[in-house]
This record gives sequence, C-alpha cells and structure tokens, in this order.
Amino acid sequence: MKGEEVMFLQIQELKKSYGSGENKAEVLRGVSFGVERGEICVLLGPSGSGKSTLLNIIGGIDTCDSGYVAIDGEKTAEMSEKVLTRYRRKHLGYVFQMYNLIPNLNVKENIEVGAYLSEKPLDIDDLLKTLGLYEHRHKLPNQLSGGQQQRTSIGRAIVKNPDILLCDEPTGALDYNTSKEILKLIEDVNQKYGNTVIMVTHNDAIKNMADRVIKLRDGQIRRDFHNDVKIPAMELDW
Amino acid sequence: MKNPLRKRLLRELVSEFGKYLVIFLFMAVTIGFVSGFLVAGDSMIQAYDESFEKYQIEDGHFEMQDELKSSLIEKLEDGNKAIYPLYYKDMDCTVEQEKTSGLTIRIYENRTDINKICVMEGCLPEKENEIGLDRMFADNNGLKVGDSIQIGEQNMTITGLVALSDYSALFSDNNDTMFDAVKFGVACVSSKEFRNLPDDNIHYTYAWRYDQRPENDKQESEWSDDFMELLAKQAMHSGLTIEDYLPQYGNQAIHFTGDDMGGDRQMMIVLLYIIIVIMAFVFSVTIKHTITKEAAVIGTLRASGYTKKELFVHYITMPVLVSLLAAIVGNILGYTAFKDVVAGMYYGSYSLPTYITIWNADAFILTTVYPLLIMIVTNGYVLIRRLQLSPLQFIRRDLTKNKKKKAIRLPHIKFFRRFRIRIILQNRSNYVTLFLGILFADVLMVFGLMMGPLIKDYQAIIINNMVAKYQYVLSAQVETENPDAEKYCLTGLSYHAQTRNEDVSVYGIVDHSRYFDEKMPDDGVMIADGIAQKYGVKKGDTIQLYEPYGNEVYSFEVKDIIYYPNGLAVFMSYDQYIRTFDPDTSYMENLLSDPALFLKQFASAKQSEYFTGYFSNEKLTDIDEKYISSCITEDDLTKLTRQMDVSMGSMFEMVKYFALVLAAMLIYLLTKVILEKNANSISMVKILGYENGEIASLYLMSTTFVVILSVIVGMFLAAAFMSVIWKAVMISFNGWISISIPVIVYPQLFLLMMAGYFAVALLQFRKIKKIPMEDALKNVE
Repeated sequence: MKGEEVMFLQIQELKKSYGSGENKAEVLRGVSFGVERGEICVLLGPSGSGKSTLLNIIGGIDTCDSGYVAIDGEKTAEMSEKVLTRYRRKHLGYVFQMYNLIPNLNVKENIEVGAYLSEKPLDIDDLLKTLGLYEHRHKLPNQLSGGQQQRTSIGRAIVKNPDILLCDEPTGALDYNTSKEILKLIEDVNQKYGNTVIMVTHNDAIKNMADRVIKLRDGQIRRDFHNDVKIPAMELDW
Repeated sequence: MKNPLRKRLLRELVSEFGKYLVIFLFMAVTIGFVSGFLVAGDSMIQAYDESFEKYQIEDGHFEMQDELKSSLIEKLEDGNKAIYPLYYKDMDCTVEQEKTSGLTIRIYENRTDINKICVMEGCLPEKENEIGLDRMFADNNGLKVGDSIQIGEQNMTITGLVALSDYSALFSDNNDTMFDAVKFGVACVSSKEFRNLPDDNIHYTYAWRYDQRPENDKQESEWSDDFMELLAKQAMHSGLTIEDYLPQYGNQAIHFTGDDMGGDRQMMIVLLYIIIVIMAFVFSVTIKHTITKEAAVIGTLRASGYTKKELFVHYITMPVLVSLLAAIVGNILGYTAFKDVVAGMYYGSYSLPTYITIWNADAFILTTVYPLLIMIVTNGYVLIRRLQLSPLQFIRRDLTKNKKKKAIRLPHIKFFRRFRIRIILQNRSNYVTLFLGILFADVLMVFGLMMGPLIKDYQAIIINNMVAKYQYVLSAQVETENPDAEKYCLTGLSYHAQTRNEDVSVYGIVDHSRYFDEKMPDDGVMIADGIAQKYGVKKGDTIQLYEPYGNEVYSFEVKDIIYYPNGLAVFMSYDQYIRTFDPDTSYMENLLSDPALFLKQFASAKQSEYFTGYFSNEKLTDIDEKYISSCITEDDLTKLTRQMDVSMGSMFEMVKYFALVLAAMLIYLLTKVILEKNANSISMVKILGYENGEIASLYLMSTTFVVILSVIVGMFLAAAFMSVIWKAVMISFNGWISISIPVIVYPQLFLLMMAGYFAVALLQFRKIKKIPMEDALKNVE
C-alpha cells in the first residue's frame, strides 16, 4: 500500500465493531488501503471477514467507529446525513446480490429510477443495448431471469454514471455462466465509462479480473496487491 | 426528468383496485353526505338566520287572559317597541282523505307586519273557507294545495302551503320536549274567516319587536326582563292575568330549528373526522405493510441517493390522491345528490322557508382540507418514523426497533392454536386498528339498533305511567260532579342548571291520592328520576326552583327520587304546596274575575279549596270548555316519540347499515394486509401439504377470533359510550328520556356484524385458494 500517496478512494485505519462487552464483535480492525480512479478493486474474503461492512462504510450507508473513508479528498464521516445522501446520489452506484428491483416498473423504468438521480445520465437506450436488455426493456422484473434482473440492477446503478460502482456479491445468486456474463458487463462498463468499481466477493477466481485485490480475513487485510496480469471476465474459471 | 417512481402509482392503483375502490367509495360517500349536510344545512341555516329580518320575526310574545286595550298597548310599547296582536285559535282538525282525526290546527290571521308568512306553494287564503296550511303538517298528513280539510265543523280549501316564520319547529307548547308536526300544525286564514271561526279557544297573544335590535344576548335578556316587569306591573294595575310570557330566545318554535341544525352540523363533522381517522389508520397499516414488503428496494434507493423526502412523497401520494379524489367526488355529490337528500330530511322535520344553495367555503375546508390534513398527518407520522431507519437496515429488512426482539413464549397448547396466537401477535397493530374501527362501528350500530325499540319502549312506558288517563289543567277553579276526578295543584317553576334553565312542573298531591301511589313527605319533596339523572340531584340535596316571571326562589329538600318517566316534575303534599305558594290571593282574584263562576262557587255547599286541575280516568263532561286550559292525554305525552320516529326513523336504519359496511370494509382491508403479509408463508405451507381449509383455519381463524372479541367487547363499550353521549344530547333537550338499550340489541348487533364478517371471510378464503405455491420458491429475498 502506498500510504503517502493521496488516492481517489482512501481508506484509513478503519475500525468497526458491533455489540458491547462480552458480545462485542470487531468486524474491521484497522483497515487501510487506497484505490485509483477507474480501477476495478475486488474485496475478497470468506463470510464474516468484514468485506460487506467495509463496502457499506465506503458507500456511506454504514458508519465506522474510527478511521475514515475519503473519496476524492472528501471524508464521508464528516458529512451530515443530508450531504451524505447527496454524495451517494451524485457519486455512487450500488449493486447488491439481490437485485431489489421495483416490481411494478419495467426494465427501462427501473433504470430510469437511477437516471433520475443524475443531472447528466447516460443515454438509457444505449445503456440498455450495452446491458443486452433492449429487447426486454418493456418487461417487468418477474418476467426476467436472475441474470437479466441483475443486469437491470447494474443498469440502474450505472445509468447515473457514478464515480464509484459498489457491488456486493453481484453474482452470489447466479449460476456460473450468468455470473460470468455479469462480470463481463461490469468489466465492459468499467472500460466504457471509466467508473471505479469496488466489488465484494468470496469467489477467489474473480480477483483475476481486478486491477487491485484486497484479501480480508477477520476484519484485517491479509493481502493487498496490484494484479499485473488481468484476465478478461469471460475467461475466468472456477 | 420527472421522478420515475410516479409511474408506479397508476399501476399500484390498478393492481390494488379493490382496496382503493373500497376506501375511495367509503370516503367519497361519507364526505359527500357530510358535504351535502353542510351545504344544505348551512344554506338553510343562512335562510333561517335571514328569516329573522326578512320575515320580521318577533322578539317575544305574551298571552293575556283577555284582549288588551289600545291605551295599555301604547303604555307597554313604551316608545321602544311595537306590539302586534297575534291572536290564534286552536281548532280540531280532520283530514278526510287520510281518515285522520285528533289533529290540532293553530289558526292565525294572515300577517303583514310581524312573523310574516313564506308561501312555499300556491297562495295565501283571501276568501272565506280558504286556508293556508303549514307545508310540513300538510306533507305529514298527505295534503296538497286544492285539498279540503275539516276545521272544527267547517270544510276549508287549502290555497297554499306555507311556513310561518315563528313556527319553524311545530311546538304547540313551549314546555314540550319535542315538537309535533304530525298532530299539530299551524295555518293562516283571512281576517274575515278568522272572525268567523268560533272563539271557544281563542288565545289573546301579542308579539313585540324592538325598534332597535338588541346588541347582544345579555342586552336582549335585560330588555326582556324589563319588559316583563313592566307587563306584570301594568297587568296588576289593570287587573289582568298574564297567561304566558315568552321572549324569542326562549321560544322553542323559533329557536329549536337553528339549535338542532347547529347541533347536527357538529355531530356530522365529528362523524366525518372519526371516519377519516379510521381511513387514515387503514392507510397507515397498508403503508407499513408496503414498506415492509419493499424494504430492500427502499434500502437500495436510499443507498443510491434517493432522499427521505422523495420516498416520503412517493409513499404518501396514494393516500393523498385517494383522499383528494374522494373529497372532490364527495363534494360534487354533496352539492348535487346529497344536498337534496339532506334538505329533504330537514324539510321532513322543520317548517323552514325556501332556501337558496350557497357556495360554502367552510364546508369545503371541513370536508376537503381537514380530511387531507388528517390523512397527511397520520400517514406522514408513520412514514417519517419508518423512514428514519438507515438504508442498511432497510436492505437487511431490519425494521423493528428492538433488534433483539425475542419470540414470546407460549404455553404448550395445540400447534394450531399457537400458530394462530403467533399470527395475532405478528399483526398486533392491524388488529388494534380493527378493534378501534369495530368499536366505532359498534357505537353507530348500537345507536341504529337501539333507537327504534327505545322509542317504542319509551312510548309504552309513558302510557303505562300516566298518573291518570286525563289530566285537566284549568284556567279557573271549577268543580266537577264526576267522582273519578281528583284535585291537584300544579305550577311551573324553573330549574337553573349550569348551561340552561329548564321548566319543572311542581305538583301538590292530596293525601291518600287514588292516582298517586307514593306517600308525600310532610316536609320536603319527591323528584322525578329524570331530574336526578339529568342534573345529578341526589336524595338529601336541596333543590332550588325559580319563579319564571318573578323573583321568588324556592328551596326544597329532596326526600326521595321516584320513577316518573313522563317529565321533569317535583311532587309535594297538598298542604306543603299551599304553604309554599300561598295561592289564596290569586284564587280570589281568579274567582272574582268571573262572576258566573263566583256565583256557582258561592252557591256550592262544598267548602272550596285551592286547586288547578283534575286527575281523572274518565273524561269530565260537566266542565265548560272555556275553563279548561288544557287536557293532557296519551297523545300529548307521546309527541316526542312520535316526532322522533317521523323525523329520524329512516336515519336509524341508515346508521345501522352504514356501521355494517364500515365494519365489513375495515375487516376486508385489514385481513387483506394480513394475508398479503403472509402470502409467502401460505405458499410454503401449501407446498408442505396443508389444504386450503387448514390454511384458512390458521390465517382466518385468528381474524375471526379478533373480530368476535372486538364485536363483543366493543358492543359493551359502545353501550357505555352511548350512555355518556345520550346524557350529553338529552341535556340540551327539555325533559328527559332514560337510555335503555334493549337486550335484543346485543345479539342483533353480533349477528349483523358476523354476517358482514363472513361475507368478507369468503372473499378472503378465495384469495387464500389463489395464492400459488411458486410464490414461496420465487420470492426468496
């Protein structure tokens, strides 16, 4: 880790625990790392390693006990709830394992839900084509496969062209082939729009498509390295 | 870019059409009815208020035993008021078409200066044998312009239907609890015709109107007191007897309508708000359910940058839209259909002049702005509280305050029972709303169900408890040979309660009375239970009664409270009556004023004693009509119940069914939410092999249990509420009717409610059958 350099996303000595007394569980125990703009960063680790908590703190939907997250020099902990919401609105896109689509809006409208948040959203039809959903744009979520639903949720996150795309186990509920398609899509989006991607996964193979890999265990960084030989998503195997 | 979440609203409306339609219809009809009530009522109140000037309604009237000389009238006018003779004759009337007799018509001359007449249809009578009849009396007796009516011995043709401005409520006697538009009516005839009518029952009434309007109630009362003093002085000076003195503010025939319409207005507004609050709670329950269902979506939206405000606006839009639409449609209905319904109800009770519908900003605010505010505040509160949760809590569906909420331990009872208890616990807030809604419906239904029997019972009670079949009130002391007759003394005093003064009849009962079972105390009085219940007077208290047209105050110790449902009365021994009121002077004056009577008394061998009337089970035929001031019979005592039945009978039915629909609708909406909330579990137990009947017994039986409990507990609470409400209402009336909720009301209410519930349960059972098994497999999030 290059501690002295000010990176686009800077995480410094982040600590987080739940509960108190004997029930206190330390989830993050002083995590520090940085990510450059436009990088794909994979947070890798087993269940309970603290990777989702870390992602949520980066995304400003959870708080830390100490340390800080700074995005482009702005520390999220110093922001009021209102400012933080505005910040998320402008700079962050979220993709979860469960797609959380609005059931009575069709594909295009679900993506419009994201577009509404941006002053300069991407062209929706163009994005639908990139997502491979143009033909399905009038369908409701319950008419789609899991992969198509996750594509839609990625579309909703990416349409506002966020600086950072936060993905929490985006392939966790998908089969092998669909997972690869989704990873390819994230890769394409990263290349096409230049967003920084922070992706949480427990799938070790996915690290190969990342620029940067952070391995977590028991709330601590076990490895933090730059991936010099990136493998395209479609060539990943597990 | 417009918020794309807006596109959900129409789809939400379509997919939940049944739910929103039920809420919309209920609100629209309620708002419509209340709006109609306010529009028609306020327009009529305005017409009624304006009628005081428009028709030059009197500031009061008094009745003398004889005609006043013009010189005395001038003295009484005292330079500040005009006094007009307003003589009337009470005549027996028979409607041949309807074969109804026993009706009384109070006939006046056409008026030109005071208490003018509003001609509603036809024209005023000008010739002999023509009559202008009160419009409502005509309606109630099936009469129309051109029909003939028998007045006394004479047939008269109705030339017009009219409203006499001083008889908007047809009170024949100001002391009556209720007016009587069925058996009593007013009418006008030409001056010539008036003179032609027999003078047996002529009343020398004079109405006055001040030259300047009194500035306020206090001044009006002071002026009236001054005038009464002057009148009493002049009457004493001239040896005349005042039969009656009634300032306008105490005249029920003039003021009852305005007071009642004002009271109805308040009642309808309260009713509307209770219903809107219930609807708001129903919406808040559905909003809570929606938020729980969509927690993950909300969390994702919040994480993506949607503000609380945007989500607040989104989720509050539907209740506001439905309420707004209901308010608009309701107001349209109010100004059209319901206005006429309400006007019809008022015209069915009161003899009001014609009115013009006026735009009513107040009604708009009360039926549109306030309901919307109630909706926004109630749902806004629920939403704001819910949206306080962090995005992460939403995503994790961690929506309870107490994160470590543990399952309540249940005793070892059968699995199905435990399951049902769990469902009740899970849906506590829904069931609390359901209970409150059912409680309110119970209150309405108790009212709707009890009033019919109550009126009938009360009618039977007062007939059974009449002291005698005939109670004669005499204008002079006349002896009768009829052995059935028993003398009594009666005077009217006034009880001053905190908010109003009320007339109380004070009886002096002879020893060993054949008509009165109670033994009168030597000192002190017995009071009717109505006084005790209405004003909280207890045995041992001292009751103070005031002379209505004088300054005397009488104090009596209450020795006992007796069951006497026929009015507010105080009873004492004859001796005490004489000691208290010392009527010797008035007796002698009375006697001397009628030489024929004096000679008759003088010739009588009997020692004459003071009395004012007779109780008798037989009609007294040997007393000249002119000495009979009034004869109280069954008809007189049942005026109240008769009029209540005519005026409000259909309303009781309406209230009953309204309550039933309200209860059924609430049960439907809240059970729907419970089933939707548990759709996944239902789907899962279907996969496990449970049959629809078993599932219904799990999910619907819990609701059945809560409904049964709510209806039963609710009806007893409702009965208690009703007693309180009843007392508050009766306080504003003259007299007293004890509330008695017939036992039959409870099983009736229960069965009606259950019928409503089972209709809803059938619908919900169909819904359970329709829940597919795949749901449990698909919606695993």
